[in-house]
Amino acid sequence: MENNQPLWLTFIVAFILMNVLLVGMAYMTWFERKVIAAFQDRLGPTRTGPHGLLQPLADGIKLLGKEDLIPGAADKRVFYFAPLIVFVTAIVGVAVIPFGGVIHLFGQDINLFVTDVNVGALFILAFSSIGVYGIILGAYASANRYSLLGGLRSAAQVVSYEIILGLSLVGIFILSGSLSLRDILARQQDTLSIGGFEISNWYILSQPLAFIIFLIAAVAETNRAPFDLPEAETELVSGFHTEYSAFRFSFYFLGEYISMIVVSLFASTLFLGGTGGPGSGEYWGLGILYLLLKTVLFLFFYVWLRATLPRFRYDQLMGIAWKVLLPLALLNIVITAFIRLYANDQIPSSWWRTIVAILAVVLLAMVYQAYAAGRAERRTAAG
Amino acid sequence: MPWDLIIFYMVATICVLCAVGVVASNNPVHAAIFLVLSFFNVAAIFVMLGAEFLAVVQVIVYTGAILVLMLFVLMLVDPDDLPEFHAARPVQRYVGVLLGAILLLEVGVAIIDRTVTGIPGTASREAVDVVGGNTQALGRTLYTEYLLPFEIVSLVLTVGVIGAIVLAMPERLGERIANRRGTISLGHPRGTDFALPVGPLEESPIPGSARDEAVMAGPQEFGRELVMVRDAEEQPVVDLRR
Repeated sequence: MENNQPLWLTFIVAFILMNVLLVGMAYMTWFERKVIAAFQDRLGPTRTGPHGLLQPLADGIKLLGKEDLIPGAADKRVFYFAPLIVFVTAIVGVAVIPFGGVIHLFGQDINLFVTDVNVGALFILAFSSIGVYGIILGAYASANRYSLLGGLRSAAQVVSYEIILGLSLVGIFILSGSLSLRDILARQQDTLSIGGFEISNWYILSQPLAFIIFLIAAVAETNRAPFDLPEAETELVSGFHTEYSAFRFSFYFLGEYISMIVVSLFASTLFLGGTGGPGSGEYWGLGILYLLLKTVLFLFFYVWLRATLPRFRYDQLMGIAWKVLLPLALLNIVITAFIRLYANDQIPSSWWRTIVAILAVVLLAMVYQAYAAGRAERRTAAG
Repeated sequence: MPWDLIIFYMVATICVLCAVGVVASNNPVHAAIFLVLSFFNVAAIFVMLGAEFLAVVQVIVYTGAILVLMLFVLMLVDPDDLPEFHAARPVQRYVGVLLGAILLLEVGVAIIDRTVTGIPGTASREAVDVVGGNTQALGRTLYTEYLLPFEIVSLVLTVGVIGAIVLAMPERLGERIANRRGTISLGHPRGTDFALPVGPLEESPIPGSARDEAVMAGPQEFGRELVMVRDAEEQPVVDLRR
């Protein structure tokens, strides 16, 4: 399974992956513009190349050619490197995504992943939490009040949603017994038979609640609409990147889109069986294709949200995180843990089983009670 | 020289230099950035020691959450409102040096003890591999041997959270606004957002309806004149206590 390939080969794989990601990001902007255009009954970019396919290239050249402005009051050194943090941390996450196992090509055994850290899932979370520094420091260094407000919002938002993102994955960690993305992927290749049908054991089936929580938290974590409060155009004139122009601005732009792609890859690997699919065991190319298809599905969902939903209010954003998603994520962990204990026969006697079952029911009743009480209170407060 | 040794010295040097930067920089935000870099390099050393879980937790908890909140506070407060950054009282300096020395001594004794006696710790590479890896070993130790301290720590944290909520209780909000001297509002020149006399809503010197009328009547009733300024710094700081 594990293949000790020479270092230069890993570098080549990483290099290819990075370039594919950058091109993918460029065409993600094209995809987004086209899809939103379709939602709004427009055509989107059409002038540059067939179907506007050269538009990302034109945009890139335009951004390179613009003047790089630095505000006079800016903290210059911080202003220089803040966008790079966003860009680098976004791109690093892809290193632990498995695109398949070990393949034999050109007389070499090649790993279809850059590295297999045994805490891969947490690795991605860690780097997404570092990414917020780019936003906060960029906001601080701009010496602009609107930027600062955007940065403050971003800090509070990312810190809150990171907790939810992490907790929503605990159920998967309990089921798979591992934090490594390769192990999690391998566990999803097992088949379940339900009523004569053989289906893959994707974690979306056993963790539907976690999947929904993860989706919502991931949108907030990547600062995308409807949770794009750090850059809310109508209130903050683009928030943290108001003062950034030219290629420095495009680093923020690149970072946002790349982190979207990485989160989509991550979600596909965790919940939708990653490279799994019919025939992917024999042909590795097919596995990569399945993974990309699932990723595009998530990216479409992102764009769909942006086209459909208006921006949340800031207190609503925080309220959802702490009052709705966090309790649901904790509930999901408790339920998963109970089921796991039962399934593994780790509860010694039948007496204990009964007691644990009663406790579980009581806990659920208490949760429901609290929910109903809160609802009644809101009703009286409202009317 | 083997590669991992070169990388270790690189990381360790950056880490120590950043730690010096934390203490030496004049700007609190720069100090926080240096602290982030220092923590990050410590995490890199954890990875090199095979403790990936610890490294990732270090990054998520310390750099990803605690320091973000620290920067959050630093950015909210106007640097001019802070006491001078390096002007610690003599007592604070001596206590700081003393505590630092004690910490250094502790770490030094721990390292030298192992080197002199030559007995490896219980968490050797083999012992860790038996239970299936570093993460598993850490989890087992934490939830069996150190269960009580672990629970006590979680209790302390819960108390801390409840304490924070009590301090920020909405009932006391009016009182706290009344006691506020400066402003941390980011949208106005300093001092100008105190146009209206503020106080606990119940104990306001003006009856409720009269106060509402005053608010409706506009700022000239209670507030100071509007001053057109080109930026926040141009406005002279208004002393609110007069």
